[in-house]
Amino acid sequence: MKKILFTLSVLSTFLYAANHIVDQKGKTFIPHTLKVKVGDTITFKNSDPFSHNAYTDDPANEFDIGIQAPGTDKTVKVKAPGNFDVECAIHPNMLLEVSASK
Amino acid sequence: MRLFLLIFFPFLLFASNTKFSLGEKLYKEACISCHGKNGKSNTDMHLPVKPRKLDKSILTQNQSFQIIKYGAHPFGAHADIMPTFKYIYDDTQIEALSVYITEKFNSNRDKKIQTLLNKSKYSPSNANIKTMLERGKKIFLKKCAKCHGKTGDGQSEYVRQSKNSDSFIYPYNLQKILLTPQQIFLFSKYGGHFWGTDKDDMPAWGKKYNDEQLQAVALYIEQYIIQR
Repeated sequence: MKKILFTLSVLSTFLYAANHIVDQKGKTFIPHTLKVKVGDTITFKNSDPFSHNAYTDDPANEFDIGIQAPGTDKTVKVKAPGNFDVECAIHPNMLLEVSASK
Repeated sequence: MRLFLLIFFPFLLFASNTKFSLGEKLYKEACISCHGKNGKSNTDMHLPVKPRKLDKSILTQNQSFQIIKYGAHPFGAHADIMPTFKYIYDDTQIEALSVYITEKFNSNRDKKIQTLLNKSKYSPSNANIKTMLERGKKIFLKKCAKCHGKTGDGQSEYVRQSKNSDSFIYPYNLQKILLTPQQIFLFSKYGGHFWGTDKDDMPAWGKKYNDEQLQAVALYIEQYIIQR
């Protein structure tokens, strides 16, 4: 029974969790707003010719993907509902507003 | 006193004009190819770092003297930019150059800085130093260290990953910089471009952090990063 429940939960994650692509280009997050659900993932692409460092200070969804080289992708998982901002630690004008629901 | 001024003022004026003229001659000889006729550094030369726009510089005349004499590298800049002129010119000539650069291109520097400080909440004497240093350290490690490194030595993950890229920006080794805390505050608040660096250089952190926070960062850099 436990195995069945575990398999179902894994399957449901794959079936219902979406992956959202956010590009970093021209020192801007594209798109700059995002609606997601808990369990979804966000993949940060870097299309700029220089490094970025996306992060959030939101306590429930805190992450810091570190220095991200040009042409690379990094993915984070949305852990909790709520609105939070994602910024770049190198370029202070970059802002992504994320709205996460259950 | 009046008699003294009457006698010596023309000599002082003459000495000042002589320095300016000598500085102008040397500028045309040594600096104009990179910094341009008007100090705006609108050169077509292919350099790894674009030369500073001298009409926007945050540096005092004395700081300019130091950088002309020893080059920018001993003060934290990348080795390839602004060379030393101490083997070409003597101190009198370098002083003349610093006078010319300051008076010709940046004569309103002091006024500009005072205006910006008047508009800011910059008040080091009223601050709780211990709290400020803790706050400054936190911001430094979270933001400044991304490019300048945790110890401010200009070695960071960003540098390691990006140094072969065309758009690499050569973060300064902050341990060696000449700037005062007041200058660090203004430089980080308004960003490098405002003070004459290339547009992709040091961003303006004044949009992200308030004056008290940036003042705390400047104090932390002065107390714990700069090694004079």
